[in-house]
Amino acid sequence: MLYVVLFFLMFSLLLYVILAGADFGAGIVELFSSQKNRHLTKKTVYRVMGPVWEANHIWIILMIVILWVGFPNFYNVLVVYLHIPLTLILLGITLRGVAFVFRHYDAYQDQSQILYDWMFRISSLITPIFLGMTFGAMVSGQIVITEDYTNFTFYSLFIQPWLNGFSVLVGLFFAALCAFLATILLIGEVDENTPNIYLKKAKIATLVVVISGFLVLSFGFVQEVYFITNFMQNSYSLGLVALSAVLIFPLLYSIKKEFQIASRTFAGIQVVLVLIAAIIAHFPNLIITTTSEISLLETTATDEVISVLGISLIIGGAIILPGLFHLFKSFNMIKILE
Amino acid sequence: MDNLDAARLQMAFTLIFHIVFACIGMVMPFFMVVAHKKWLNTRNPIYLKLTKSWQKGVAIFFVTGAVSGTALSFELGLLWPEFMKHAGPIIGMPFSLEGVAFFVEAIALGFYLYGWDKIPEKFHWITGIIVGVSGVASGILVVSANAWMNAPSGFDYINGEFLNIDPVQALFNPAWFTQALHMTLAAFTATGFAVAGIHAYQVYKNRQVELHKKAFKIAITFGAIAAILQPFSGDLSAKDIAQRQPAKLAAMEAHYETQKGAPLYIGGIVDAEKKEVSYKLEIPKALSFLAFGDFNAEVKGLNDFPQDEIPKVPIVHYAFQTMVGIGTLLLLCGILFFVSLKKKKWWNNKKYWLLFTVLAPLGFIALEAGWIVTETGRQPWIIHNIMKTEDAVTPMPGMIYSFYMYMAVYALLTIAVTWLMSRQIKSLNNSK
Ligand code: HDD
Ligand code: HEM
Ligand code: HEM
Repeated sequence: MLYVVLFFLMFSLLLYVILAGADFGAGIVELFSSQKNRHLTKKTVYRVMGPVWEANHIWIILMIVILWVGFPNFYNVLVVYLHIPLTLILLGITLRGVAFVFRHYDAYQDQSQILYDWMFRISSLITPIFLGMTFGAMVSGQIVITEDYTNFTFYSLFIQPWLNGFSVLVGLFFAALCAFLATILLIGEVDENTPNIYLKKAKIATLVVVISGFLVLSFGFVQEVYFITNFMQNSYSLGLVALSAVLIFPLLYSIKKEFQIASRTFAGIQVVLVLIAAIIAHFPNLIITTTSEISLLETTATDEVISVLGISLIIGGAIILPGLFHLFKSFNMIKILE
Repeated sequence: MDNLDAARLQMAFTLIFHIVFACIGMVMPFFMVVAHKKWLNTRNPIYLKLTKSWQKGVAIFFVTGAVSGTALSFELGLLWPEFMKHAGPIIGMPFSLEGVAFFVEAIALGFYLYGWDKIPEKFHWITGIIVGVSGVASGILVVSANAWMNAPSGFDYINGEFLNIDPVQALFNPAWFTQALHMTLAAFTATGFAVAGIHAYQVYKNRQVELHKKAFKIAITFGAIAAILQPFSGDLSAKDIAQRQPAKLAAMEAHYETQKGAPLYIGGIVDAEKKEVSYKLEIPKALSFLAFGDFNAEVKGLNDFPQDEIPKVPIVHYAFQTMVGIGTLLLLCGILFFVSLKKKKWWNNKKYWLLFTVLAPLGFIALEAGWIVTETGRQPWIIHNIMKTEDAVTPMPGMIYSFYMYMAVYALLTIAVTWLMSRQIKSLNNSK
């Protein structure tokens, strides 16, 4: 059962990164578009994401619930020591969700749209940066676990672990990944009559991903971030990253040939590969503190709890996945029919 | 303010906010599908207009409910890490099922909102029903988690450790049914009266009278039925508490001296220092009867509990009085509505509409008051008789800043959503 639970944890992580990532990315693309393209992006995003965007964000809740039920001690370290970036993520998710609804459901389309739009775009950029920073902080080796709150400053316990060069770079890298996913998605959604502005953006985004990824690795290497040195010695991780890099070529090819499904699949696979590479580099010790490593698996709940959780997830999955699949499918079909 | 108080206030504040959106997100879909059904049956375009306008409301509240709920699911861990470390595995089940219910709701809502004229009519309508049913299911599941905090079960507590965990038994803890029943009714009462009140005001102002009368009737029917059942379910809850959480009961009634044939106090000002209640109305023996169904039963008073294990009496007492007072009023007004169905001429009387306008916020006030009774009445325990709230709070200092930040964000959100709704109504009135 533990494997079932782990599977769902991974599965929701990957889906969250891909679906919500593309969703965040759409906002980032909108932010970095010229005045007139912004409007086009906004309309396209709404058409593509409208029916599904809410569902995209539930994966993070699923992850949290799995963590707190199945891996309580692991979760405990996260919520105590990464309280601040997690709160900032929350703030971003809240503002972004609200802005999305406001700008599409307000009864009147007037000046206030400007406010909603900016709120949407900026929180779309900030949230994935903080998400990435949180992950960076987990593995940065700077978390100090202690009961003794008098000998440490607030800064060194609760801020330093996430507000440092390495974590910030991971944050930027993640935001770039999101933008990359979004541009690939959007390429396929432009109608024939308008010039496809996303081709160029996709190329820029790919470049930014590669550069920021390189920066993360080299910065980590120079600073001797333990996770990165390990990552570089792990042949599986390296292999996966290399594979992901090689996939850029078929991706570019299918973009050029306008194979929508193929290009989306390649982009999705690339992101999944990078993520898996990062996770297996140090699995299961996914929190690295100044003095020790905390394993996801050493801290599991009891067997009964894990099996009830596993069963709930299987039942839930059996209900949700077909529905979700149908939702995606129905609205795609409708688009084709129109 | 110390860290614990700041964390408590933040929790209270975010929950008070979330519950409003959650209730509306839970109940509005039912109004929407009734209006939709009437459109399908009568093809009267007014119903279509109403359905589409309520659907916008549902979408807005759904998302605000979902984001504030996401915030809460983080907050439980962020604010109460010690609590979640032990309670997480035990009450994770209702939360994971709630996730499923919510997912179903989100999927169904996707179909409903974007499915007009695209998917078969009947199926489209059914997706609306699924939205409502899964919303109520989420609500019941979360309340069951809260009920567990009041009536912990499904584990053995040995030497400070939680052993032999049985999540299913924890889900069906002794308090889950009474609380879930009362809460579901409360959601219908509160939302019913609030939505009806908004439309009553429009009738009062003579705007689009036909539309708003139809809307009023749908909403108030749900609200009135629930309001009539509410006191009965409340009585069940009270009897339950008398058994399980006698300190909470005593605080609700500001009952200090242990007594046989205890009287019920109505109103009154509590002096927690002197342990006295002044200016109250006293009904002899009524408390014993309400709590135990026996006029001469003994009700334990606050003075006979360890003094560090009782909640803040005035808050709990006033909140309880507010809830019950409003509950009685809404019961009467619910009956009044059913009578008015027979006396059609009341519907032409402005005062009728004014009355229901004034009632609009009361259901929600009672609902918040009820939660304050439940939650503050449980203090100092976060898990009744097992873990104290002060032992659960996050060790991170400076929670007060987090509290200010949430206050600011949520205050802005409240203003924004209110403004959005008023624009929604304005556009409904201006349309032809
Ligand atoms: C519209 C809202 C509303 C109305 C009119 C009432 N209640 Fe209520 N009450 C709630 C909304 C509510 C609530 C907010 O939903 C609570 C909080 C926790 C819960 O499960 O329900 C609650 C809790 C609650 C509790 C505590 C349960 C616990 O701590 O476990 C009791 C004893 C009552 N109620 C009793 C009553 C009585 C005797 C009422 C008679 C008129 C009444 N309520 C009307
Ligand atoms: C009695 C109190 C509560 C009730 C009745 C309630 C009910 C609901 C409902 C009906 C929704 C769906 C939103 C909508 O349709 O608009 C929702 C959303 C949500 N609620 Fe609450 N809720 C309560 C308290 C809480 C608490 C304490 C938490 C924290 C753990 C929480 C977590 C969530 C989450 C995470 C969502 C987003 C959707 C999801 O589950 O994925 N709720 N709630
Ligand atoms: C949505 C309706 C709810 C409202 C309005 C509400 C209100 C409150 C209030 C006022 C407090 C502060 C109590 C005090 O310190 O005096 C509180 C605390 C708390 N509530 Fe609730 N509550 C709700 C539902 C829930 C649910 C469904 C859960 C859990 C599943 C929950 C979990 C908690 C926790 C963990 C605390 C902090 C610990 C404590 O003070 O005991 N609440 N809530």
